[in-house]
Amino acid sequence: MKTAEQPDHTTTDHRTTMVRDLLTDYAGWLLGCGATCIRLEKNLKRIAAAYGQDVEITISPHHVHIYIVDRNDRTVFTSIATAKGATSFDTITRLSTLSWRIADTGIDIRRARRMFDIIVNDRPRHTWVVPPLVALANASFCRLFGGDIQAMAVVFMATLAGYNLKMWLTSMRADLRLTFLLCSFASAVIGASSYLFNLGDTPQIAIGTSILYLVPGVPFLNSFSDMLHRFYICSFGRLMDATVLTACLSIGLCAGMIVMGVGMF
Amino acid sequence: MDIDILSDAFFAALAAIGFSSISRLPLRAYPYCAAIAALGHSLRYLLMMRPVPGFHIFWASLVASFLIGLIAVMISSRTRTPAEAYFFPALLPMIPGMYAYRAFGALAVCVLNDNPDTFGYYFYQAASNGFVCMAVLIAMVTGATLPIFIFKKISFQATR
Repeated sequence: MKTAEQPDHTTTDHRTTMVRDLLTDYAGWLLGCGATCIRLEKNLKRIAAAYGQDVEITISPHHVHIYIVDRNDRTVFTSIATAKGATSFDTITRLSTLSWRIADTGIDIRRARRMFDIIVNDRPRHTWVVPPLVALANASFCRLFGGDIQAMAVVFMATLAGYNLKMWLTSMRADLRLTFLLCSFASAVIGASSYLFNLGDTPQIAIGTSILYLVPGVPFLNSFSDMLHRFYICSFGRLMDATVLTACLSIGLCAGMIVMGVGMF
Repeated sequence: MDIDILSDAFFAALAAIGFSSISRLPLRAYPYCAAIAALGHSLRYLLMMRPVPGFHIFWASLVASFLIGLIAVMISSRTRTPAEAYFFPALLPMIPGMYAYRAFGALAVCVLNDNPDTFGYYFYQAASNGFVCMAVLIAMVTGATLPIFIFKKISFQATR
């Protein structure tokens, strides 16, 4: 039974646990959403400092190892956050704003947790518009590389089919590498139709561009950004991830071209 | 020439909007992202024009991505959005995808071919395209990240 003279350790411990949980989940979501390591480190340190904690982190491509030290009693707590969510600059923006609100206004940990949960549970709306937009973007890519209007139309169709297949395979929780391979194969087969049916004067550009929507641009850019900020381990991991995916889409492309009897160059 | 530049800017903006939708950009950021991509890509197009100024793709990408990064940092604090949310999608149309495609394609031909001359030719193709691809990627990220280093305070307090 608690007496009036005893400090309320239960409340303090519960608050500390909540801060540690928030830091762990925050790190996992920010990493999964595709934030750079420098942003992840700065945001985590900002939140930790606001709640009287020091934090040191080791970032790997899929996990964050977190060492939290209480500034008052110097107790050390370690946790491992696993990357959650998919690439989303909207979530990164909102989580960064949350970190500043915590640092500047010192909001209560319970309220901060509620705000965090709202951000990460906010499902993306209007997802139906993404495949046509991606197809339009890839057709524009084709134009930028010198493709004609027929090649653009073929690339649009190849991308639309491939991206829808990617969404379906992702919803079926298929392996990401297999997904990339199958999608690039499907897009290359459709892209090769411009060559087989003599559609336009630039069929080779249509085939080459039809799979470019799969190039993992954000991991590549993140990898080099991490390298510039000296997060070499995560940088190398992200680079390897992106390279393996690029290799998978190249294999799918080659297989599609072989099946359709189209030469590589 | 003018129509070519305008067309380049227009399609770069379209590409940036489309690829931004994959990485779920905040809605308010789309117009800025399209404008930055159009500016950056058309600047690279201008710099690479032959015979003058005739920049190599490496230098042209470095200068264009620096401009992209600079505008992204300036806009980020006004719209309370991290700079990378702008410059990553704006850089995507500049990723040398065709170089990567040719590098991996040539590598595949190397693996499937045992004639030494053919192997040598395609190995050169793979190495040449692969190196250019890597160098351009490094140039792009370095160029776009430099303004973040220079204006560190503005960049990391954008969402404040």
